Amino acid sequence: MKRIIVFAALLLSFIYASAQDGRHIYQKYSDEADVSAVYVSPAMFRLIGRIPDIQSGNGNVNLTPVIQGLSGLYIITSSNAEINGKLARDVRKFINSGTYELLLEAKDNGEKMTMYTAGDDKTVSSFIMLAEEGSEVSFICLDGRLDRSRLEELLVAEAR
Amino acid sequence: MKRIEDIEKMSPEELEQAAAEAPVPEGLAGRIESALAAESVGQPPIVIPVLARKRLAQKSAGRLLRGSIVATLAAAAVAAVLILHRPAPKDSFDDPLLAYQQVEETLQFIAQKINEVYK
Repeated sequence: MKRIIVFAALLLSFIYASAQDGRHIYQKYSDEADVSAVYVSPAMFRLIGRIPDIQSGNGNVNLTPVIQGLSGLYIITSSNAEINGKLARDVRKFINSGTYELLLEAKDNGEKMTMYTAGDDKTVSSFIMLAEEGSEVSFICLDGRLDRSRLEELLVAEAR
Repeated sequence: MKRIEDIEKMSPEELEQAAAEAPVPEGLAGRIESALAAESVGQPPIVIPVLARKRLAQKSAGRLLRGSIVATLAAAAVAAVLILHRPAPKDSFDDPLLAYQQVEETLQFIAQKINEVYK
């Protein structure tokens, strides 16, 4: 009997751990004080996909192919000191429980920024960015099916 | 009903009389006789009631275990459904153009962070 209960508890912990995703984090923190939240749904991404090609602000990058591959965007920005630590901890827990690999990490004067991707060599199924800057913590999660090389090219082009 | 202390204080005669007055379960004499007869020919005494009790106990323990497994798995399944089934959050934009601008800003923000790293 004890074995069954232990097995059920382990099964539930596994399910809970695998249920940790961008949506879970968004829903947990989006209504907190001093937290701004943005969510773009898959349905909205489908609508965006119908908009004729739009050039980005600096005019040299076409975002449409990348945006068409997206199916969800979750952004949480917190300036609430009580929330910041919990949010960063939850994001790390979520990263560690999934198949994410570190893309980039930068530390400067106590500020830390990390980016992770999930997927394979050709495709990115999820992109996570966690930025801890002073009194503010930002979490960005992009879900979808993106061509890895196209996403990298886009980010490098936007960075110029 | 006599207490053990009272019984211990009774004389052998009183005990014999009390035993003679005590009700005898039906068929006890027959069971004793058959047990004695079986023992006299080298066969084990009749122990069916004991075995039956054991089997009944095993059956009820098995039923209890099966019931516990089903109840635990059902509880785990309900908990799993509750964990996995979460309603979708409300979209932050009604206008796809505004949503597009937000996505663009987000990508630019990410790019800006990458740029800061490589500066």
